[in-house]
Amino acid sequence: MVARGFDGAWEQLADLPLPAAAAVAVLDNLQAVRAVWSAARDGGELLVASRTRLTSDLRDELRAAGLAVVDLGPDDDPSGGLGDRVDERLGDRVGERVSVAEATAPRPPSSGRVWLLTSGSTGRPKRVAHTLDSLTTVTGSQPPRTWLCPYAHGAYAWWQVVTLSLRHPGQDVLFIEPDELDSWPARALEVGVTAVSGTPTFWRQALYRDPDAVAALPLAQITLGGEPVDQAILTRLSELFPSARVSWIYASSEAGASIAVHDGRAGFPQEWLGRTGAGHATLSVVDGELLIESARRGQGVDAVLHTGDRVEVVGGRVLITGRIASDEINVGGAKASAAAVRDVLLAHPSVVWAAVRGRRAPIVGRIVTADVVLSDETTVAELTAWCSERLPEYAVPRRLRVLDQIPIKESLKSDV
Amino acid sequence: MSTLSRDQIRAMMAEVLVAQGKQMPGDDQANLEEIGFRSLDFSELALRVEDEIDEELNFDAPQLRQIATVSDVLDFLEQLQAA
Repeated sequence: MVARGFDGAWEQLADLPLPAAAAVAVLDNLQAVRAVWSAARDGGELLVASRTRLTSDLRDELRAAGLAVVDLGPDDDPSGGLGDRVDERLGDRVGERVSVAEATAPRPPSSGRVWLLTSGSTGRPKRVAHTLDSLTTVTGSQPPRTWLCPYAHGAYAWWQVVTLSLRHPGQDVLFIEPDELDSWPARALEVGVTAVSGTPTFWRQALYRDPDAVAALPLAQITLGGEPVDQAILTRLSELFPSARVSWIYASSEAGASIAVHDGRAGFPQEWLGRTGAGHATLSVVDGELLIESARRGQGVDAVLHTGDRVEVVGGRVLITGRIASDEINVGGAKASAAAVRDVLLAHPSVVWAAVRGRRAPIVGRIVTADVVLSDETTVAELTAWCSERLPEYAVPRRLRVLDQIPIKESLKSDV
Repeated sequence: MSTLSRDQIRAMMAEVLVAQGKQMPGDDQANLEEIGFRSLDFSELALRVEDEIDEELNFDAPQLRQIATVSDVLDFLEQLQAA
């Protein structure tokens, strides 16, 4: 395992004795994997998240839920974390200040429980309970690989890579921090990365910034997830890495890893709908929404989960197009689909990234607007003409903004 | 907040029309239907004004009345900025 400041095996990680039920606020991946290793070894109850993610309100909520909040901050942090006390035993790294805020409603720990936070993009983050076992979704023997893990500390996809490495010998990981997103291909080449997992936005950004550096990697496995995966990005990656397996995964903290597609095509086969049996989730579509019944779901999650994701069946494939809550833009009574508009924009050869949303406007209520990143000097007028040929008038973006770079959040998603 | 003059709004209206392959008439009393300036064009123009002044406009503020001519559009957007 390689993280900033560490190159070694799991068992070589420095000890990090934690309270039996702890939410650990981390600065980097090294702190995060130390927390995981300690909890895995001691059977503790654990939540891991970056310090920026754990807001003051959220920390209070976690303490009220019976978790001590362990803050692994820098020692020059003027806030000093939220600690009621500074625990010298925990801080064995130079420049690290460890503080512990005890649970305000203490309870017996639930041994082996792992808490995840939902993204909170549609509201306040929710806690979802898992275990290391329920997060370990890759089974059977695996070819030796060195993975790149760019995900946010403690996110579901982060845990997927972590448990893969913990449970399967030969699955090494290079963790990169958010400030390394610009330079990761060089680091990955140096470390010998052969498998990379990231969101479509992560891949688009990497290919936009330095396609040659990405293409130089000897990748055998490419994985996408976390956002709707469109054919354009799958095709681009397949062309760039013809001998690699290109997979997309549908997974969330609540649903667990529920769909895995390896044929290089967007969506999944229609015949998977209604399929029952061990080893895979049962998928269905009701009123255009994807429903999932998965054995890998979080504890306490509805057996049949309404995902909130809109799907369309096209040419025998079930395509996941976006969130129901944000997809529909009502333009004077006509309903435009943000996902459909985005697909049209992304189909333009010069568009490397696009985000579509509704914007409040007089008379019609909302109009369609878009942000795009372009690979050349294509004009807004040309893009508007491209959309006009393919979309009804009300769905053609009326305000088109060209950005200099692809916006990306800590979640590796655009969420715009 | 900064506000746009009537002439500046008129120039932006011309841009919206030209982008739709239409012409801005010389006469402010020209009928919107006749020049092909429709609801979506009007909405786009309002957002262009918002972007230009970098301020959200309160679209509900001016009393909504019939907007039939170029002059009505310019009046409305001037009124919006003042609201």
